Amino acid sequence: MGHSESSSGAAVWAILRKECRSEWRTRYGLNAALLFAVTSLAGVSFAVGPLGDRTDILSAMLWVVLLFAALSSLSHAFVREIEGHTLTLLRLVASPTAIALGKLLFNLIFLAVIEAVTVPLFLLLMGGPPPGWSRFLAMLSLGSLALAAACTLVSAIIAQTRGRGALFAGASLPLLLPVLAAAVKGTRAQWQGGAVGAEASILLAYAAAVFGVSLLLYDHLWED
Amino acid sequence: MSAALASPASAPLALEAEGLAHRYGRRRGLDPLSFRLAAPGVVSVTGPNGSGKSTLLRILAGLLRPTSGSARLVLGGETVSPAALRLRVGFASPELSFYDELSAEENLTFAAEARGLRDADAVVGSALERVGLAARARDLVPELSSGMKQRLRLAFALLGGPALLLLDEPGSHLDDEGRSTVARLVDEQGKAGLVILATNDEREMRLGAQRIELRRRGLGDPA
Repeated sequence: MGHSESSSGAAVWAILRKECRSEWRTRYGLNAALLFAVTSLAGVSFAVGPLGDRTDILSAMLWVVLLFAALSSLSHAFVREIEGHTLTLLRLVASPTAIALGKLLFNLIFLAVIEAVTVPLFLLLMGGPPPGWSRFLAMLSLGSLALAAACTLVSAIIAQTRGRGALFAGASLPLLLPVLAAAVKGTRAQWQGGAVGAEASILLAYAAAVFGVSLLLYDHLWED
Repeated sequence: MSAALASPASAPLALEAEGLAHRYGRRRGLDPLSFRLAAPGVVSVTGPNGSGKSTLLRILAGLLRPTSGSARLVLGGETVSPAALRLRVGFASPELSFYDELSAEENLTFAAEARGLRDADAVVGSALERVGLAARARDLVPELSSGMKQRLRLAFALLGGPALLLLDEPGSHLDDEGRSTVARLVDEQGKAGLVILATNDEREMRLGAQRIELRRRGLGDPA
């Protein structure tokens, strides 16, 4: 029986498609994340109204909403495999690296979907000044990449523990503080017309470092 | 324990274990075991509950790292790498679960595509046909009975025609017709490659021309 030339690429692609199909059919994380993002934005909007040129508060609020929407759902990447007892199947068909990449890509797509709904709603409800789109999108992309990389790793680590829900938030928050700080600072800077190069570099380096650590750890995480 | 099973050294496919052992913390999972098996053939692994049958198969499938010793699959004189092991080894055990939100066919297609098998649809169709599950291919996993899920596990293990087939209690949940299917599949695979069956069922034990007997008392003997 023949095998394709790039079985790792095939495995990543198969895992990504499987994740998307599973999420689409179950709405396991999407509904929870969107519900959190929309209700928290609506609640803040009703309470304080448009924030206008308060770009410091705007940028902090945007990332707090995105962070907690992500925390409410990104842990599912591996928890779902443990709770469904499907990790053995996954390990039999794909390498740890392919699994890590497939899950990371899915989490990135998941965040992009959340942001596609949340960010326009945020700009509309909070009445912020028009963003500098290229820098704003760069911060959003790199912040999401760092967020997804860290959440995917923590999800893999805590998946086989008891009390994994509480552990995920507890373990993720300290790890995500540098992401939050750099993303908030960069987002505020773009609204104020400043440069975002330093923050972009921090987020990119952070994502690369976390993903590198992930590749080293994944092989050992799921053994009995 | 050492089970020395003679086999020709020049065989194209061989499975070798040297002092293979595993501990789950303080508890013994598998006592030291050495063997050399060559294809074609069918080997039954027997022993009481807790003697390490499933542990042995999990190690051979690459799911569990042995505490000591080593095992290697040799194909054409070269050791198969851990990455290639996924393409050469078929594994089915009661612990193997599938995605509830996918159908039987979708689960197998995912597995075939993730392994990089060419023409995944044909491979999956053939595997489902061989285990008698083609008519229920589009049913979601929760809609399948226990016996059908067991057939799905067997179909998963057969994907891509593995050189080494590891079956842990392959007849569990199966009716007489299902057990006959297992016997036929084991016979077919055993003629082309190597099949290792972990079982305590007398009928399944008889499928193996050779036997590895794990004699330890079992049931969580701590020392």
